[in-house]
Amino acid sequence: MTQTIHEPPTQTGTATGRPRSGPARQRAAAGTRLSDLISALPWIGPALVLIFGVVLFPAVVMFYNSTRDISLSGLDKGPVGFANYATLLEFTPLGGIMLRTLIWVVAVVALTVLISLVLAQFLNKSFPGRQIVRLAVIIPWAASVVMTTLVVYYGLEGYIGIINKFLVDIQLIDGPYGWTKNPVSAFSWSIGIAVFVSLPFTTYTILAGLQSVPGDILEAAKMDGAGRIRTYFGIVLPQLRGALSVAVLINIINVFNSLPILKIMTGSIPGYDADTVMTMIFKYIQNEHKIDVASALSVVAFLIVIVIVAIYVKVVKPMKEV
Amino acid sequence: MKKSLRLGGIVVTATLATMSLASCGFGGGNASGGSGGSGTTVNLLVPSYSDNTQALWEGVISDFEVANSDITVNLEVQSWDNLTDVITTKVQGNAAPDIMNGGPFAGFAADDLLYPIDEVVSADTLADFQSSFVENASVDGVQFGAPLLASARALFVNEDLLAQAGVTAVPTTWSELLDAATKISAIGGGVAGYGLPLGSEEAQAESAVWFYGAGGGFGDASAITIDTPENLEAAKFIQTMVDAGATQADAGATDRSPLMDVFVQGKIGMIIGLPPTVGQIAEGNAALNYSVNPIPTVDGKAFTLGVADHLMAFKNDGSKQEAITKFLDFFYAADQYVPWVTAENFLPTTQSGSDAMGDTPALAPFIEALPGAQFYPSTNPNWSATDAAFKSLIGQLAQGKDAQTVLTEIQAKSDEG
Repeated sequence: MTQTIHEPPTQTGTATGRPRSGPARQRAAAGTRLSDLISALPWIGPALVLIFGVVLFPAVVMFYNSTRDISLSGLDKGPVGFANYATLLEFTPLGGIMLRTLIWVVAVVALTVLISLVLAQFLNKSFPGRQIVRLAVIIPWAASVVMTTLVVYYGLEGYIGIINKFLVDIQLIDGPYGWTKNPVSAFSWSIGIAVFVSLPFTTYTILAGLQSVPGDILEAAKMDGAGRIRTYFGIVLPQLRGALSVAVLINIINVFNSLPILKIMTGSIPGYDADTVMTMIFKYIQNEHKIDVASALSVVAFLIVIVIVAIYVKVVKPMKEV
Repeated sequence: MKKSLRLGGIVVTATLATMSLASCGFGGGNASGGSGGSGTTVNLLVPSYSDNTQALWEGVISDFEVANSDITVNLEVQSWDNLTDVITTKVQGNAAPDIMNGGPFAGFAADDLLYPIDEVVSADTLADFQSSFVENASVDGVQFGAPLLASARALFVNEDLLAQAGVTAVPTTWSELLDAATKISAIGGGVAGYGLPLGSEEAQAESAVWFYGAGGGFGDASAITIDTPENLEAAKFIQTMVDAGATQADAGATDRSPLMDVFVQGKIGMIIGLPPTVGQIAEGNAALNYSVNPIPTVDGKAFTLGVADHLMAFKNDGSKQEAITKFLDFFYAADQYVPWVTAENFLPTTQSGSDAMGDTPALAPFIEALPGAQFYPSTNPNWSATDAAFKSLIGQLAQGKDAQTVLTEIQAKSDEG
């Protein structure tokens, strides 16, 4: 997966921009395939070792663990086939957890992209102090996610939280409310935080896209009498297709795999009414010490991400040049 | 087709490279043990009880290393939150510590990872453990844990709030507790009558206080019994407390430590506390007018929940038995052990320690209550699952979920193991 994401820049980055497969196939037919491979190895080798060592090897170990019976103290007691997956299927809250994962990903990604589009448009205009505003947008990115989340978490605390106090003071609520102690409110706040920390990357990706919109096209649209809204939806947005689709793809993967925000915000809520797949994996490891079942759920999560990304790549074709 | 062949070649090459790299990384775990030739290294894994824990152990270790120059002790301090993950990972990677300080050990004993304790302490040390802790440290009659420290629970009462609410006597039964807590809550201004921490941090402890207080409990070493009529009565009474507004808001998701801070700040009337709570109040709000009392129960019959943590010795390759014995004997001698337990504000588990500490006034109510304490059935193989089930499910009581359903869920999780 990583390969497919990183290939296009090298393609478009070369001066000719020709696809590599054509010439390669011709040479392969000439029988120099092996020497080609050997001469390429010093360049692709490190990347391959990294992909295998950091991505594939752990994935294989994870799958292996998911088919074993691992005791609470971590001892491998032998193979059990797919019994751990069966345990997962019997776990009734799993349906709600899957649904919540979907809501989590869709809500966070959609809100992030919409707000980023507006922000990027704003930052693309020149105005006094633009540098400072651009810098300010980066801050949530530079700060640790855990720290950002903890700031909000303590702000929402019932006895000492300033957000709670503020809401009481402006008489929006009668008394402090346990925002992080009830599933729906804690989950909603988490979505807000996730959007906040995803904004910088998305905004900057879109901003880069905006800056690559050729000025002459915009000028032409103006001369043809297109209004601002027409220009935006007819000219600018289609030009942003590349930037947007990559931003959405990376956000989907990131948000799906995000643990710290939900772990902090919903961690103290009893039951499974605020859990996503990721927090559930964490609960299996941390609370129940079931490494085998946690591995099984991780494999499921891994497959879900691959399927989502595959569908996305197939439908949206984010790698296609505009 | 040909392209895929080429890709196959790359895949094989990279896999081989990775596997050889990975095997280097994975092999290292076990080697640290008997290496060096000149001496033995003992790996010690401990959780952090307080900010002093690391310094206290370092003091013990440096004294020990002076007395035994051929043994080196490696200290690793982890937070309680991470301890179980750390040990599970270590066991899975064949790199278990030699001595660990932890809670439940039945799982390790069942997996045959531990030395029976009489093989790693001298007869004198073994005889010094108070008998009430020995049973709790044994599985099927074999003692695997060396009791390290104990705690008991008691009801901490904010006397000022009690007086302000017009309650004259500290409650001893549930109905008195409900009445007093409701009156204190009625003071308003963010004051709560009874602090009920059913959040995941230590939900099993608060549950035990109520379940055992109703004459029920968690069961014993052979059977975990959660879904019983007595426990149901307790669960329903917890809901009565919540519904009457006698507790703080969102009791089901409130963790113990933050709630204790609120009690120290003087905003909670009554809460179940531990020996270290005494020190915490002295440090945080010495002006707090409080008293330490027996836990109220359904019929007023005194009860306390005791918890003992243990040191356990892992077998690993079996080469360090002698060094482990030396270290444990050294540590449990009164001159090392008593200052250690005192500094951590817990109760001693040895007879000599108890004799030396019996006259500490702040701990007196706890030391008195300890001999009759009830313990978690932590030697039951299903206890870990039960503990986890309490942590993640019991809080639903305070969210209005049917009490019977909650108990059934916990019992099911527990039986599942």
